[in-house]
Parts: sequence; structure tokens; C-alpha cells
Amino acid sequence: MTASDTVFARPARASAVREFGSSVVTIMVKELRSRMRGRRAFIVLTVYLAILALITYGVYVIVAPNARGITGGGFGGGGFGGQANASALIGQSIFTLLSIFQLILICFIAPAFTAGQISLEREKQTLDLLISTPMRPSAIVIGKLAAALAFVVLMIVAAIPITAIVLMYGGASVDDIVRQQLVLLATALVLGAIGLFYSALLKRTQAATVLTYITLLALTLGTTMLFIFWTVVANQTENGFGVGPPKRAPEQLMYMNPGIAMLDVVSNTEPGGFGGINSTLAQLRGNAPDMNGEVECQGDICRPIDRNGNPIDDVASADSGYWWPRISATFVVVAALLTLAATRLVIPPGMRWAFRRPRRPTGPAPIPASAIVELSEESDR
Amino acid sequence: MIGTPVVETRGLVKRYGDHLAVAGVDLLVGPGEIYGLVGPNGAGKTTMMKILATLLAPSAGEAYVTGIPVGDDPLEVRRRIGYMPDFYGVYDDLRVWEYLDFFARCYGVPANRRATMIGELLEIVGLTEKRDEYVESMSRGMRQRLCLAHTLVHDPALLILDEPASGLDPRARVELREILRELRGMGKTILISSHILPELGEMCTGVAIIDRGRVLRSGTIGEIERSLRATALLRVDLLGDEAAVNAAREWLGTDPRIADVLGGMSNADGAVRIEAAFDGTPDAQADLLRAMVEAGHRVVGFSQATSDLEEIFLKVTGQIDEETAA
Repeated sequence: MTASDTVFARPARASAVREFGSSVVTIMVKELRSRMRGRRAFIVLTVYLAILALITYGVYVIVAPNARGITGGGFGGGGFGGQANASALIGQSIFTLLSIFQLILICFIAPAFTAGQISLEREKQTLDLLISTPMRPSAIVIGKLAAALAFVVLMIVAAIPITAIVLMYGGASVDDIVRQQLVLLATALVLGAIGLFYSALLKRTQAATVLTYITLLALTLGTTMLFIFWTVVANQTENGFGVGPPKRAPEQLMYMNPGIAMLDVVSNTEPGGFGGINSTLAQLRGNAPDMNGEVECQGDICRPIDRNGNPIDDVASADSGYWWPRISATFVVVAALLTLAATRLVIPPGMRWAFRRPRRPTGPAPIPASAIVELSEESDR
Repeated sequence: MIGTPVVETRGLVKRYGDHLAVAGVDLLVGPGEIYGLVGPNGAGKTTMMKILATLLAPSAGEAYVTGIPVGDDPLEVRRRIGYMPDFYGVYDDLRVWEYLDFFARCYGVPANRRATMIGELLEIVGLTEKRDEYVESMSRGMRQRLCLAHTLVHDPALLILDEPASGLDPRARVELREILRELRGMGKTILISSHILPELGEMCTGVAIIDRGRVLRSGTIGEIERSLRATALLRVDLLGDEAAVNAAREWLGTDPRIADVLGGMSNADGAVRIEAAFDGTPDAQADLLRAMVEAGHRVVGFSQATSDLEEIFLKVTGQIDEETAA
């Protein structure tokens, strides 16, 4: 068996998955080789952790004296219970701010890593070499996304020890940290996929980067503003603000908003969480007592109901985990769709059908590999 | 030709809007050939090569690589070809061996063979001592050789090299030519393009001269040359005033073997040069000169314009211009 035989041998169906996997790994190894080399990655990671550590310290310095005051330490009351509450308040504050800042940082960093992945290859004219290899375009795209996310995941995971400080103070549990991590990872995934999609769609990295950040703004500030605007307009009647149950924009508008997901996580920490954020989140989905204060009574027990007539549970627990699983799931689905779209865009135009079609050789029969080698050897002699 | 051709196209057409980049090309390249595609920039060489490299879909016609239709099974075709585009970049931030290792992985070369294979390839292209250097630090000629090495990582039957010598200094060209000879010795079939015919002349077993998406002539360089050498371009330098020169032109025009008389430009040394397309052997040329002198024309120079490959190329493309104009 010559070297050529192995190269020419068609891969069996069974090994197709393995081949796909090794292609993804190939791209990842190459990307990480050039990405992690030198000082850049090291500096980015250090700065990122330093910022988070600084925030943690800052929150502690600001909150600690106030917390003791509020929970009674300063008024001489409290005792043990007061100490514990003060500690929990510090922990919750740190967790909240750390989570939000981490989300903001990830929102800015994740797209930056992927928005050039394909377009840079186009600009540097390396894409043709890459796509003329027998790797499947989907493997190339997924490998690139995975390589970019690998570093972002490293950043997210490297920050866990800082976040874990809150476990010392209380106020947030391991479950909360797990939820926070899931939201961060889902956000990184979807933003990475958005960057990659634009990178495959557009020729220039600059354009791809700009569009990615515009999309990010649209998903966060844009959806929030649209929600408010929509709600205001919906509540306007011919006579100005009308009577009757308040209307609101569809909650699905918020399903792509990473900020809402993170607020959901931080507002549901034990014990209690931040009631303010919580009732705002509840308002978003209309599951909050409105001004009418309608109640539904069964016998002696009366429960508040929302305008749809559904009972409202205790506000703090009612929304626990309502938003973040929905938003994270949406992110995963959207990321998958965008990756698929990016794959189609990488395939040369006009060749797209060829990657779908079952292999059905037409025309002259292929020559066996051995024949080529023999013939060419003959012509040498 | 023995066996299935390594490259075969039938009526290949590629249209970009109204522009016909490739206008019905039939190519046939047998195993072990070095086949040259020659044509001016924009002739359609790159488009044809991209179609064969499965990076472009043809608008019409068929293309086969080792008998496999390129549109039906692009991944399989890619396993059998090594493609070097005319413009390409390299990953600057990788070392030379990492670069080749990356592409070897892309082609699914097993790990145990990669290391030795990279050593062998670097030897072939003469970059052994650059193994651990960054691609960034390499000269253009070295990058070109590195890119050539990358086309070989999976031991393909066919190499498609688009203008591999463009932008190289003469020394690097010679080196490249040596490498290609060596590859031919290894049994590779090579499809190579250039806008300069002499570059290919010496090493190609066959060439196709291409202009505006059509194959104007194809065959060995010798065949093409012979088909064109039938008419030689004579340069005749004359002394005398305008009347004498006109008389000479008229005299030449009466000869049936002369197709066309051109020119009448004064030289620096006072002679006037006229050019005539002459259809005849060197013997006939000598007879013509004698007859001309005997007729009283004051000939001080008489030569045949040397028809080098470049000129062949110009003639072929020029002729077609005239044909299409007519």
C-alpha cells in the first residue's frame, strides 16, 4: 500500500464523524497556536481579572460600612442576626455588580474575537487555501468559533475564584454562581456566533466588527427601548391614557437580551434577592400586581392575580428562573442557526449544492489511485 | 495518451454577468504531464484553475479531475489536487513546520506520517533550515516555495499552480523550475499558468495559449512554433530617398510569397526599415535578397525577426484579433 492509496481512499461513512471532529480540532489547534502565542492573550486575561478584582474590592469598600449601618450593627441592635445580614448584603452586592460587569466585558470581548475570523482570512487571502482542503466548511466554521470561545471560556472560568468570594459572605449560593456562569457562556456563544456570521457575510473585518457591535446594542439597549416605547404606545387610547388593564409589549422581545438574563440571575439570590429588580422583571412578563390590585379568593385565602386572571405568586419566588433559562436557550438556538448560515457563506457560491447532494459519480469512471501512480511512474522511465 | 486523463474539460464555460471569462474550453492533460496555460492577464486562466480546484462552479460544461466530476464530489477532488492560487497569503504567525503541519492535518494526514513528511517536503523546496522560523520572516520566493510545499502535503496526483513564478527574481525562478522538474520526476501531473510563455517553454510537455476565455492553440511548444514559423517577418533596411523606398515596397509587394509590407521608418543611420511577412524557407529568403539587390534596391540590412516564444504568443493572440475584426 503506497502513501497515495490512503490519501485517495474514500472515507467510510462511519469515520465521517471522526473526520469532522479532527477537522474541528485542526482549526482549533492552529487558531490557538497563533492566538495564545506571545503576550497578548496573557495581558488580556490579566487585565480582565484585574478589573473584576478591582470591582469586587470597590464594592466591598463602599457597601461594607453601609451594610453594617443598615442591618443594625451601627445602631447597637443586631447581634448575630445583624452580622449575618450585613455579610449577605455585601455578598449580594459583590455578586450583582461582578456579574453585570463580567457580562458587559464578555459582551465586548466575545464578538471582537470572532468578527475577524473569516473576513481576515479573506483579507489576507488565506481563505482559498483553507477552503480548497477537503475539510467540510461546517468543520472550519465550528472550529473557528470553538477556538475563539475557548479563550472566552477561559476568561469566564478564570473569574470563578473571584466570584467565589461571595460564598464567604453569603447572600449568593453555588447555584447562583452556576447560573451566572451559564448565562455568561450562553452570551459568549451567541455573540461569538453573531461576529462569526458577519465575518462570513462581509468582506471587511471592520464592517463585520461594526455590525456586530450594532447588533449587540440592538439586543440590549434596543430591545429595552423598543419594549418601553411599545408599551407606552399600546397603553395610549384616543382619550390619552386609558382605563382598563395595562397592556404591554410581547415578552419575547426580551428573549435575546443578555442583560435581562443576568438581572434575573442576580435578583434571585438567596435569601430574597433584590425585590426591586425582581418586580421590574415580573412587570416585563405581566406577572405582577397592577394598580387595580385584583385578587382572587377561594374561601378564606385571597391571592393577587394579574390582569390575565392568573394568580401571582410571591413576587420574589415567582420569577425565579423565569428569564434566564428562556434567554439562554434562545441564545443557543440562535447561535446554532447563525453558525449554520456562516457555513453556507463560506462555501464558494455555486458550489453550495454540491455539499448537500449524495455522492453519485457520473461521467467517466474514476481511475483507481494505484493506476495513477503506476502510470506516472511509467512515464518517468 | 494512456489511461484516464488527469484533467479533462469539455465545453467549459464561466460567465460573470455579461462577461464571458471562460468561453467553451476543452482541455486534456494526461498523467505525468506538465501542462502550461499561457495567456495575458484576464484571459481566463485563473477562472479555469479555480473551477478545477472546486472553488468556482462552471456556468456550463464539464470538468473532471482524475475522472471525477468536480461539481459532484468536490471533497474527493480536493483530496487529489494540490492548489496554489495566484494571490494568496500565509499565516504569518505560524512557524514553517506548523504551517505545513496545519495543512497536513487539514488533509487528514495521520500524525505518525506528518513529521517525516514535513522534513521531506522542506527538503524538496529547499527550506530545511527555515523549519522553526516564522513565516513572517520569509522572503517572497521562500513563501512561494512554502506554498508549493503545502500543495504536496497529501501527495496529490495533480498540482494546480496559478502563476507560481510571478513576482520572483530570476534566481528564484530557476529554483522553482528545478523544483517542478523534481516533482515531475516524482510522477506528479502539473497544470501551471503564466502570462509569460518562455517561462513555461522549457519545461512544459504541452501548452494551451489562452485569450479571452478561448484556447487559441494547444500542443507542444514545438508544434505551436512550427505552425507559426511558416510565415517569417523580414526586416529590410534600405538606403535612398522616399521614392526609392516606395519603389522597393512596391517591388516586394509584387512577390506572391509576401503577404504584407509594413513600415517605412527611418533609422538613426539614415536607412529606412520596412518589414514584410514572408512565407518561405531560408533558401527562398536568400533568393529574395539576391533578386532585390539585382533589381537595384540598395539593401544594407536584411534579417528575419527572431521569433521567440514571446512573439509567438503575441502573434497567436494578434491573429485572433484580426480574425475577429474581419
